[in-house]
Amino acid sequence: MDFRLTDDQRMLQDAARDFMKTEARSDQITIWYEQKTFHLPEIWEKAAGLGWLGMRLPEAYGGAGMGAFDCGVVFEELGRGPLPGAYFSSGVLAAEILLAGAPEALKQRLLPAIGDGSAIVVPALADPSNRFGAESVTTRLEKAGAGFVLEGSKRYVQDGGAATHFLVAARRDDGRIALACIARNAPGVSVCHQQGFLIGASEVRFERAAVDPADVFGDWNTVEDALTRALPILGAFITGALQEISEFTNAYTSERIVYGQPIGRYQRVQDNCIEILNHLDATRWITWETLWKLDTGQDARAAARQCKAVASEGYFQGCNQSHMVFAGPGTDYRHPLMAHSVLAHALYPYLGSPLHNKRAMMDIRFPRKV
Amino acid sequence: MDFNLQADTPEIAAFRKEVSDWLDANMKEGEHIRLTGIWSTVHDDAEYLFRRRLAEKLGRKGWLFPTYAKEHGGGGLTTAHRNVLEVELDRRGLPLGNVFYTRAELVVPAVTMFGTDEQKREFLPPMMRGDVAVWQLLTEPHGGSDIATCRTRAIREGDDYVINGQKIMVGHHTKADWLMVLTNTAPEGKRHENLSWFYIPADLPGISYTHLNLMMGVKNAVYLDNVRVPAKYLVGGENNGWKVASAYLVLEQGGGGSLGESTLLRNVVARCEEVQPDGTRLIDDPDVRDQLADMMLDVDTERLWGMRNYWHYNEKTPHRYAGPQYFFFQRMVRLRNAERLQKMLGYDALVPEERYDELGDFEYNVRYGPGMMHGGGTLHTDRIIISRCLGLGRNVEGKRQAKG
Repeated sequence: MDFRLTDDQRMLQDAARDFMKTEARSDQITIWYEQKTFHLPEIWEKAAGLGWLGMRLPEAYGGAGMGAFDCGVVFEELGRGPLPGAYFSSGVLAAEILLAGAPEALKQRLLPAIGDGSAIVVPALADPSNRFGAESVTTRLEKAGAGFVLEGSKRYVQDGGAATHFLVAARRDDGRIALACIARNAPGVSVCHQQGFLIGASEVRFERAAVDPADVFGDWNTVEDALTRALPILGAFITGALQEISEFTNAYTSERIVYGQPIGRYQRVQDNCIEILNHLDATRWITWETLWKLDTGQDARAAARQCKAVASEGYFQGCNQSHMVFAGPGTDYRHPLMAHSVLAHALYPYLGSPLHNKRAMMDIRFPRKV
Repeated sequence: MDFNLQADTPEIAAFRKEVSDWLDANMKEGEHIRLTGIWSTVHDDAEYLFRRRLAEKLGRKGWLFPTYAKEHGGGGLTTAHRNVLEVELDRRGLPLGNVFYTRAELVVPAVTMFGTDEQKREFLPPMMRGDVAVWQLLTEPHGGSDIATCRTRAIREGDDYVINGQKIMVGHHTKADWLMVLTNTAPEGKRHENLSWFYIPADLPGISYTHLNLMMGVKNAVYLDNVRVPAKYLVGGENNGWKVASAYLVLEQGGGGSLGESTLLRNVVARCEEVQPDGTRLIDDPDVRDQLADMMLDVDTERLWGMRNYWHYNEKTPHRYAGPQYFFFQRMVRLRNAERLQKMLGYDALVPEERYDELGDFEYNVRYGPGMMHGGGTLHTDRIIISRCLGLGRNVEGKRQAKG
């Protein structure tokens, strides 16, 4: 048992902190979220230059072959922002899906490009808005001559607007699920930005969009395998977000004077801060343990889903508790809380709601006898 | 980062085997005994005597206080050895700090820190060897969690102090050998600077005990009526009692953490996996699965924070708010689990089952959840302490503005 960061991890942490300080100051992030700017090419390139888009990729694909925990250390700092962009969806999730099941040629073509930032590969997995999992896939992958065509519509594709490629979960003619990689600018693909109390979501339509058979691979298990390795990194990102919320909320309780004393003297306000703290530490510790499981080659399938459930629920509830403390001023889009509030809502259903992920955890630990 | 509790060096692996074999051999006679919780519900002397004898044997080996100095009865061992004892005892249903009902784990650090050499020589070995049961006399009827408002008086008379007062929420269904008592030695003095801490024999004339039959089990009201106490039992000096108590209250309030796994969760899962008379299993019921999932998430957070606190405490790297946060969360989880048990099991959650040790029994947990929200300070007190640790509303600038 040892809960210290290594020297290398501390260096990574410092580098990521410095990066956020110079490239993504809090007041700037506030404006990005107000304007729903979900992709920042300049920052994207700088992050790619630091190797943060292919941290976990094997060296054979131009990556750094880093451990899950190391990667989590960087994502925790990005989450403090929270930095908008496809850092997780392309740099982690898409990379893991490709690693888990793509044919070698496709890996060779896309993985180094993900790592250097020239390709932004975004998974488009579920079709309906309120469900996730194999049963949520309805987009069709139909046989057409020697190849396939995609037919259907994926809504709420996170970071879809920034994509150069999509990894699409679709049903073959026999009902089985496959993953199809398709370029964003391929004929028949259209991307429509979705407005609302979210950020970076797009509807991606496929109208008889042709797919090269060499770019079709895997099944839903490929996605599940990738999720096991990716979800804890998202957990680290949310840990950073909750850390930031906890710190600025606590600080505010000493500055804000109401009825003649700092509001932190009121126990109701203290309760809000403690709730945030508890969500933060619940998220941090299940995330840390799951990252450690990944790094030590243990079965992390159930833990990864648990991690997403705890993190997403915590982010959502943590924001609400912080809103109670900040009240009116916290609802201004120029307030740091608003960036988190928007993102917490967008990430709640992302890759399955907390309820979905809890049930997935149970199904892994205790398979149902039907 | 390493969450492994059993990544043993060869030396520690050998120690684990030694401990494991020893416990298997020495706990054999207790196989049929149902182990009770810290608040014993059952007046079972056979169980108590078995546990006391086991503690004496552990104490002889220095295994009750493994990291303390040998000269006072400790084991002179490392934290890694302690981890082994903690985990192996937990696997057999017993906490290292409470093999039988005694609060020695709180008194030993206090005496070690504040006692004179003579007091250490006299008081420590019997506690570390497991020879004496120690009770804590802290809470008073009027004060509840606010223990600094202590009204139990200790007045100096020559070489003695004379103690008068009443304490509640004390001990267990049997008898104590020694008591730690927080008293007021200067009623007109400043709060926190008017208290004194005594470690006294439990059978001094003038001490009487009355059972309290509580939701969670048996405790006592203790009356101190002109109890004459030689001054050598005062630890840490007159009016220094708050500091002495603070030294171990950190431990009582979760600061020491835990390496235990939840026996309750293990039992609930096993119960839900059993085939019922109608051929179904509870674990296949979607509603039960959702309850169980929530329980697992809570129990896992509690487990992880327990490890975190244990590590910080033993590595001597202080953590700002870890103790009260864990303590608060632990009790909230117990409360929520009590509710979940009823939702999952219905009436079965209201009837004790002999096959489970008390800590893992459903009926016990249903009572213990709502009943045990105050031990060591209420949930509200926990949150006040966390807020202070976080410094909420306490910056200088804020205060200045408030005064205008």
